[in-house]
Amino acid sequence: MSTANQEEFINRIKMALGRPFAKSPREADLFGSEMCAETRAILERIKNRTAEDRKQLLETLIEAAGPIHLTVRACVDINAVTDAIAEVVLDKDPEWGDKKRVVAWRHPLIESLNLPAALSEQDVPVFFSDLQETDEESLRRRIIDSYIGITSADFCMADTATLVMRTRPGQARAVSLVPAIHIAVIELNRIIADLKELYALLKWDPQESKVGLTNCMTFISGPSKTADIEATMVYGAHGPREVHVFVITAEY
Amino acid sequence: MTKITTENYVAEARKAIKNEVLQRALADLQNRFGRGTAECYRRLPEGPDLRLRAHEIRMKDIENLDVVLETLAANIRKNGGQVFFAKDGQAAVNYCREVAHKHKVRRVVKGKSMVSEEIGLNDALIDSGIDVSETDLGEYIIQLAAETPSHIIAPAIHKTRYDVGSLFADKLDIPYEDDPPRLTRIARKALREKFLAADMGTSGCNIACAETGHITTVSNEGNIRMSITLPKVHIAIMGMERVTARLEDHDMLLRLLCRGAAAQNMATYVSYIGGPRTAHQADGPQEFHLVVLDNGRSRMLADEEFREMLCCIRCAACLNVCPVYAKIGGHSYGFAYSGPVGAVVTPLLVGINRAKDLCLGETLCGACQDICPVNINLPRMLLALRTKLAEGDTAWGVTAVNRKEKFLFQAWSWIIRNRGLYDVAVKLAAMGQKLLIPKGGMIRRLPPPVHAWTKERDIRPLAAESFISRWKKGIK
Amino acid sequence: MTSHKTVTLFIQCLVDTIYPEVAEAMVRVFRQLGISLTCPTDQTCCGQPAFNSGYRRQARFAAKHFIEVFEDSEIIVCPSGSCVNMVRHHYAELFENNSQWLRRAQDLANRTYEFSEYLVDVLGVDELGARFESRVTYHDSCHLLRGIGVREQPRKLLHKVSGADFIEMHDSDYCCGFGGSFAVKYSDISNAMVTDKVKNIMDTGADVVVSCDMGCLMNIQGKLSRIGSDIKVMHLAQILAC
Repeated sequence: MSTANQEEFINRIKMALGRPFAKSPREADLFGSEMCAETRAILERIKNRTAEDRKQLLETLIEAAGPIHLTVRACVDINAVTDAIAEVVLDKDPEWGDKKRVVAWRHPLIESLNLPAALSEQDVPVFFSDLQETDEESLRRRIIDSYIGITSADFCMADTATLVMRTRPGQARAVSLVPAIHIAVIELNRIIADLKELYALLKWDPQESKVGLTNCMTFISGPSKTADIEATMVYGAHGPREVHVFVITAEY
Repeated sequence: MTKITTENYVAEARKAIKNEVLQRALADLQNRFGRGTAECYRRLPEGPDLRLRAHEIRMKDIENLDVVLETLAANIRKNGGQVFFAKDGQAAVNYCREVAHKHKVRRVVKGKSMVSEEIGLNDALIDSGIDVSETDLGEYIIQLAAETPSHIIAPAIHKTRYDVGSLFADKLDIPYEDDPPRLTRIARKALREKFLAADMGTSGCNIACAETGHITTVSNEGNIRMSITLPKVHIAIMGMERVTARLEDHDMLLRLLCRGAAAQNMATYVSYIGGPRTAHQADGPQEFHLVVLDNGRSRMLADEEFREMLCCIRCAACLNVCPVYAKIGGHSYGFAYSGPVGAVVTPLLVGINRAKDLCLGETLCGACQDICPVNINLPRMLLALRTKLAEGDTAWGVTAVNRKEKFLFQAWSWIIRNRGLYDVAVKLAAMGQKLLIPKGGMIRRLPPPVHAWTKERDIRPLAAESFISRWKKGIK
Repeated sequence: MTSHKTVTLFIQCLVDTIYPEVAEAMVRVFRQLGISLTCPTDQTCCGQPAFNSGYRRQARFAAKHFIEVFEDSEIIVCPSGSCVNMVRHHYAELFENNSQWLRRAQDLANRTYEFSEYLVDVLGVDELGARFESRVTYHDSCHLLRGIGVREQPRKLLHKVSGADFIEMHDSDYCCGFGGSFAVKYSDISNAMVTDKVKNIMDTGADVVVSCDMGCLMNIQGKLSRIGSDIKVMHLAQILAC
């Protein structure tokens, strides 16, 4: 049934475009099947990025983060990140109820933080967002009851301070969405300049294009906000009210 | 289709003009966003001319829409999603109802979607006994108030904090509060419960990508993400034109969309959704449906005069600079689409005669085209619509609207070719105006059919002697 | 360098019949610059009123008459941005199906200028020795600003008028609500728009509002008069002729 109405629908479009029932002419470059010079230059630039360049990108990121109420902190190593997260956990209170719970991605970088041990000092449980030890319903419940969600990110675009997160097993979407506070931990080399670089990588970089966008790729630029009442900007609408990005600057 | 009240343009406009609260809100909105967007374009690394390139890209996608849509559908299905092609609003609504029925859906949460307004989705679902909750704060407010949106991006712009405070106190049974941050907190809590309890989430699609097989949703609030992440079914409804062939074109279009819509460099959330959750993923909807809607768009596509309108990415920048919209507000346009975009799209979707006031009731000042992130020539299309209303048009089923006016312009066209006749006509008018007895050099009352001018304005009378006449006599 | 091409006056129907003093001022300015003038006495109208209301056939008659009257002129200058916009941008639409007339129209369009545009961009003149002691503000008419792209030229000219205290108004580039027959057919909306424009003018404290389009000024003047304001409307040419 669905193919029949698709055919009818597409035929109506073909008629409208003046080529009824004809084989649609394939425009050679409609899907950009050949890499253009500009893209090549972009990929070269990314490949040849120096430590100095990366530091510069971090500066750009920090500058872009300010106006959108995003907190960015450079941390010299993994331990510094763990300490920083422990600080946030100590400082902040849950939005609903009293019990502090944290949920985190099952991700090598996040696992290396040893959060369960670190936060046990404050008696704060840490759950990982996969189905290894629990079922879907319980995981969902855990995420809903957590006040901090910890993720990594595939990339971070410096010019707009945007985290780019693809979806994989163990890396639930709701972790960066449902808890009131979102913490993202990334390595310095994950910071890229802008959308042009992102799309170039996703489409043309051999490793990245193999992964593709995945079935859910999310850009996050700071905490949620709205200006729907009298055009007054309010931070903290339906998504997280606070977002922190910790950037590990040590070379890995 | 949703309820259409385009015939009330003049009456609604009159009401809006008298509404001081609305007037202040619209002026404020335009000051902030209209000016802000123009400034954003200036600061683009490519400069404002990026809009011209964006226009080319959009036109290319539109002119290959058959291939682009087929590719999009194939790729989404490869990712495990389902695609339904809906020839009209009724087909789209029926499909959504069927999906809801199949999954025994009782509660739906909605991300903002003008297309869902266009097809009247809410009412159809409610009729099926389903609880429907708008989740965009502005849409949530007007849903509680049982009103329609007055702006594409800021639907509740016509409501003050006091209005919202009273509304929440009444409908949510809570103590009165009118501080926007606190009101937002209240809505956050109320809607969180809806998100967590919903069985199905719906969204629109800002701009899909055919080669990767993804739709995108763009928001600042996070409500769209909440609506399409937690429930087990996600239906996205998109106008058939809202798609690009290539991924890299999203760079330009996303940057322009965010600037056009809210004078931002980037919205808080952009989600690329390509299908339901895959095996071993911890969360996400189990089913993803994309409904691709025609509902009159193929007719626009077929007419080269109006094909350009399909380039629109529904950012609402044009509303933020339109001096007419600033006075009459969104409700005057009587349909899902208001402002300059509404003035062209609505007549083409609901009927040019039916929406004639939308075609005629602007000054063609051109501010809309200048601010459009894809440089759509809206004034040109308004003029084309006016020509159809003046002459009639068989292809679009338009009957000429003003016989008297046509007759007058016929007569005018004879006079205008002959200076002698012209002079006689002017002389007759000059004699006639003596009866109007100008006061203090100005006429205070004109006769029909032009008397509406002098309701609130005077007008300078014809000069005693035309310039040409003086010139003929020799000017110093 | 000053061009010594003869300027042919395209005076606009509104100016011809209601505001002839504007054309007279334009003549004085050109004569002062030593430019020889002609003025075809059988000119009538560029056709814009019919075109904007959708009556293209009727507008075509006016356009053809216009082309016949003006096509032998070297340079055509008009004190109305909207008329020049009509000739430059809409004549092509009127004659898109008639290649002969289209060519004639395009040829003519290349030689048709708005007054301030001609002075500043073509003649390279912005100082005319004018003297006008008043606080003045300026309204950007839509077609001149967005159709022709003229924004700075009138301001340049006004800044060089000695004694004139120029002040920008808020939203100077917002439409005044004239729109031709819109002002009559949708008079409530039109009135609301001109009310805003008049408020912005009054907020500047100006005695005079200047523009390059008498359609706009006729509309603004009508409102100013009705509310009993002393603020005057003047075409740029009238200031420059002082």
